[in-house]
Amino acid sequence: MRRKKLWLIMIIIIMWLNCIPVSAVSSVPYHTYNYDYWEYIYYTPAAYIPRENISGVNTGSGMLNNPQDIFVAEDGKIYVADTGNNRIVVFDSSMKLERIVDSFENEGKKDTFSSPHGVFVTSDNKLYIADTDNLRVVVLDENGSLNRIISNPTSEVLAQDFVFSPLKVVADYAERAYVIAKNMFQGIMAFDENGNFTGFTGTINVTISTYEKIWRRLSTKRQREKQIQFIPTEFTGLDIDEDGFVYATNIDSKGKQSVRRLNPKGQDVIKKSNRNVRGEGTLSGDLYWRLQGDYSGASRIVDVVYRGYGIYSILDITRGRIFTYDDEGNLLYIFGGRGSQEGTFKNPVAIEAIDDKILVLDAYRGEIMTFSATRYGNLINKAVSLRYDGDEASAVKLWKQVLELDSNFELAYVGIGKSYLAAGDNKKAMEYFKLGMDREYYSIAYKRYRDDILEDNLSYILTAMVVLTAIKITVSRIKKVNAGKAERGL
Amino acid sequence: MPEKQKGDCDMLSKEKFKYPFYVMVHPFDGFYEIRHREKGSIFVALMLVFLFGLSYSINRRYASFVVNYINPRSVDSRVEIAGIFIAVLLFACSNWSITCLMEGEGRFKDILTVIGYSLLPMVLTLIPATILSWFVASSEEGLYYLIINVATIFTVILIVIGIMTIHNYTFGKTLITLFISFIALLIIIFIILLLIYLLQQVYMFFYGLYTEIILKL
Repeated sequence: MRRKKLWLIMIIIIMWLNCIPVSAVSSVPYHTYNYDYWEYIYYTPAAYIPRENISGVNTGSGMLNNPQDIFVAEDGKIYVADTGNNRIVVFDSSMKLERIVDSFENEGKKDTFSSPHGVFVTSDNKLYIADTDNLRVVVLDENGSLNRIISNPTSEVLAQDFVFSPLKVVADYAERAYVIAKNMFQGIMAFDENGNFTGFTGTINVTISTYEKIWRRLSTKRQREKQIQFIPTEFTGLDIDEDGFVYATNIDSKGKQSVRRLNPKGQDVIKKSNRNVRGEGTLSGDLYWRLQGDYSGASRIVDVVYRGYGIYSILDITRGRIFTYDDEGNLLYIFGGRGSQEGTFKNPVAIEAIDDKILVLDAYRGEIMTFSATRYGNLINKAVSLRYDGDEASAVKLWKQVLELDSNFELAYVGIGKSYLAAGDNKKAMEYFKLGMDREYYSIAYKRYRDDILEDNLSYILTAMVVLTAIKITVSRIKKVNAGKAERGL
Repeated sequence: MPEKQKGDCDMLSKEKFKYPFYVMVHPFDGFYEIRHREKGSIFVALMLVFLFGLSYSINRRYASFVVNYINPRSVDSRVEIAGIFIAVLLFACSNWSITCLMEGEGRFKDILTVIGYSLLPMVLTLIPATILSWFVASSEEGLYYLIINVATIFTVILIVIGIMTIHNYTFGKTLITLFISFIALLIIIFIILLLIYLLQQVYMFFYGLYTEIILKL
């Protein structure tokens, strides 16, 4: 009797244990979703989950005050522009305080920073600081000595009263510096290795629709003054890839394109996705938004990070979301959100990445928030990078695992379809390309499939044609003979 | 007189069904006889409108993946067929109201018949084109679009010729009336919306009255 009772209790305990969620990770404090071909929202597993918050307090650097930029150097060191404290804080890759850069020697005298908004480190550890209120960009060598100062750009294209207050800076392998300056709408300012201003790059042209033109013509001068000015948008954030292409973000209130990839000539060469019902995808975060109230309006993209293999992530300050795209402009995953819960942002201003970890700098909290990839995020990252390297065959295994977690992920279907196409299983390839909404590859698979069928049945078709012609000839012969007989009979 | 009566009673005779095909290849004569010799049939015209709606819906849903950019979740045959009927009726109404004022000879019945009969090329090609689309790859999709476009242009030409013939207009006047009809169509839609809104107000008034009374009593 007693034994039976014990068994019963054990069974109940086991059943109860089954009810407990396996991991606490399954709930994150934000929505994770994506847009499919038809631009419908579908919910996905979380690609990234909050990991830790690093503030100045728990690392020993003292509170960060309104930090505006973060940069991860090639050796894994993390540089934070601690704007409110006029200094640059450097952490090592395990988030321990390494050093604080708050002054440097300039012509024998000690010089300091004044609200530095941007920081960048080259591969040989030269430190670029956008020293905003001192109206200059300071370049320091690895040992902290002054390398050069970029200030007072002079050019015919610049207005006489233009004040150069740099906000963000990056430099390429040839030490050309690209600077976003306050109130500069003409583009990103490019400087050569000597600090001379060479021109603007990536100018965004203003587009005015016909409707707006007509409306402006009809309105009076006073009305026109009240209307929105048609000025190009300012750039907000910068990053640079290993080939020297600059990734730059800007605010697009229409939500069409907020990130550009500029080649050395300053032309935008970013690819937009064509797997979209409208033909050309957007590169601007959310497709739908509330028109008024909290968290309303198009995504305002404030920073970008290039993560290698053509993958880049952009940060939206409106709703605190991070959108990750691949080299073809496909939206891979979305995560993050604003709020006061752990793992959400108050005022996210900058984004960086170390391997599969993503760092977001929150200016209001003065904290670096880190996110680590889940299995889902990891699989997508790996599969996309394999595809980028042209190794589609090894990506297939990963795509299949992605589909186990998220059966709506269209890129995975295309990836698997390509492997079937390469293996010659055209029918299966067609099926997968259709699920992945890829008309181009579907067509290729279909053509091969159709050719195969024709080839297999060619003998039958030819035989049928020969038989039919033979019958036709005989029938006409017989008719002729009959007609001849009838004539003779008459 | 007796002849006319005969035409009325066998509305569904074989001849009436064959007539749209004659009109398609002889539009001037065909539409003239519809107006003056009672060769047309409202029933056949409405049936063609229905068939057009049906084949349009079938095309949207079943055209092959390569040429089909329609979200299958957005296709509803009932709504589409009803929508086409409403569009045809609205156009006929607006055209009739304009041509009445502009010395058009056609009756409402004739206008409806012209529209219905003109849709025959589309009815005949949409489903074959849908079937053809199952066998084309993306480089050959031009063939599919060619068929659809030729049918559409054919239909538009037939409608213009039809309106011209039944009202006894010149070509220029036809185009002008068609344009004015389009404006009239917008006005009709506006008035209908206004009417709905006003009726709603009246309904709300009486509903308010009703609630007031039952709560006070």
